[in-house]
Amino acid sequence: MQQEFSKAEKFWMNFKLYQLWRFIVLNLKIYTVAVQSKRK
Amino acid sequence: MAKILIIGAGFAGHTAALYLGSKIGRKHEVTVVSNRDVFSYLPSWVWVGVGHMKPEKTVFKLKPVYDRKNVRFVHAAVKEIHPDAGDQYVLADEVGTGRETRLDYDYLVIAPGPLLNFAGTPGLGPENGFTHSICSYPHAIKTRDAYLALCERMKKGEKVKIVIGTGHPMATCQGAAFEYIVNVHKDLVKKGLRDKADILWLSNEPELGDFGVNGVQIKRNGHMLRSEEFIKSVFNDHGIRYQIQTGVTKVEEGKIHWQNYEGEEGVTEFDFAMLIPQFKGQPFKYIGKDGSDIASKIVNPAGFVLVDGKYGLPYPELAQTPEAWPSRYQNPTYPNIYAAGIAFAPPGPISKPFTNKNNLAIAPAPPRTGMVSGTIGRVVAMNVIDAVNGREPSHHESMTEMVAACVASMGDSLWDGSAVTIVMRPVVPDRKKFHNEYGRDLFISHLEMGLSGAWMKFMLHHTFMWKFKARPGWTLIPE
Repeated sequence: MQQEFSKAEKFWMNFKLYQLWRFIVLNLKIYTVAVQSKRK
Repeated sequence: MAKILIIGAGFAGHTAALYLGSKIGRKHEVTVVSNRDVFSYLPSWVWVGVGHMKPEKTVFKLKPVYDRKNVRFVHAAVKEIHPDAGDQYVLADEVGTGRETRLDYDYLVIAPGPLLNFAGTPGLGPENGFTHSICSYPHAIKTRDAYLALCERMKKGEKVKIVIGTGHPMATCQGAAFEYIVNVHKDLVKKGLRDKADILWLSNEPELGDFGVNGVQIKRNGHMLRSEEFIKSVFNDHGIRYQIQTGVTKVEEGKIHWQNYEGEEGVTEFDFAMLIPQFKGQPFKYIGKDGSDIASKIVNPAGFVLVDGKYGLPYPELAQTPEAWPSRYQNPTYPNIYAAGIAFAPPGPISKPFTNKNNLAIAPAPPRTGMVSGTIGRVVAMNVIDAVNGREPSHHESMTEMVAACVASMGDSLWDGSAVTIVMRPVVPDRKKFHNEYGRDLFISHLEMGLSGAWMKFMLHHTFMWKFKARPGWTLIPE
């Protein structure tokens, strides 16, 4: 079981290009389900 | 012309008002009655509480927005609801003058937000107690002042004890407290004072990362990641101690009294504490045509409005019955009354409840704030529009279908800030639809920490302020 973040995890948490990709993924996820919600 | 009255102008009430005003406000009378004449963007009070955001940036006046959206605004505190057919009205006292005003309605939306029940825990709260809160605008400002004064003491070399979490065995909104504790940590690191503070997370959750929603689970790189281990990593990484399965029973100056799952009683000392109180329904009087108290037809004993849910199921059965959760938010006795946001009565807890040997129930109540509140506000508005147009309410979305996102920031910098981003779908596990032990969509559900979360938090603040001001394109922004 994970108890502390590894050095690699901390690196990716602050690596700007990777974080931009995660930002886009997150927004797409929320937008997809929000559109489904609005149709109800 | 139909008269639609909305009580409250928070996430749920304000969302409902904007949809109703935009869609039918020209033909029908849409009125909002609220004891506050501003909209408050609550999620940013976390930043107010550590002195990182000016309080006035989290609020704006409601009336100019409502004037544009064909909504009438009444600045008054509701005290009585008279729901019987033929003479349906609400009595309220105007803020400032104290003059009693009568507001007739054909359709009523109850969305006043929670009553912060500080009285439920002796000694809790900033007014008659010894702890702080970020649950209201004045409380957030008072918390900021107390926190900054504490920092001054630390700058002089004093070591302090900080306790953040829940202040009642049945409190909810652990997410807000979590965001506050990590912001306090980050702020102290930036100020070079972290070594002067012992920070403790004190919570009624059954396990770390439960957040009142039975935790969050995601699939990452083929492995399951649970919020319990994730939040444990965050706390270990930040040197934050934690004590869970604990219900706060009493607070004295510098001392928090608690009981845990084992029934043990204990005392935790503090110099500064921010503890979320129990939430209850607003104490409105519900009066029948004959003057009798008919509250039991509309609200449960905690004051939350009964809607189209299945109430009274034991937890194991409720956990397997997603259809028990309401989806139209319509009162069964008075179908022209709807409830939105915190105001509706959930059919039971989402997290596993627990009662210790001293008969003290220690269990987080279901959170229904933020995105959930806004979504319910929209669903209710659409159903009222159906009813006004002579149709059966056709819109529905229960918490077993809803998605919710929570971004717990750690600092507000867009360059080196960070945040824990949590997305869960659905909020209440649906084990019939999602065939895994968690009852969640493991693809959409999201649990991550990083700089992107800080961008997300910044974006959310600005896009939601845009949306709630009903500026162009506001309907395109999700609730």
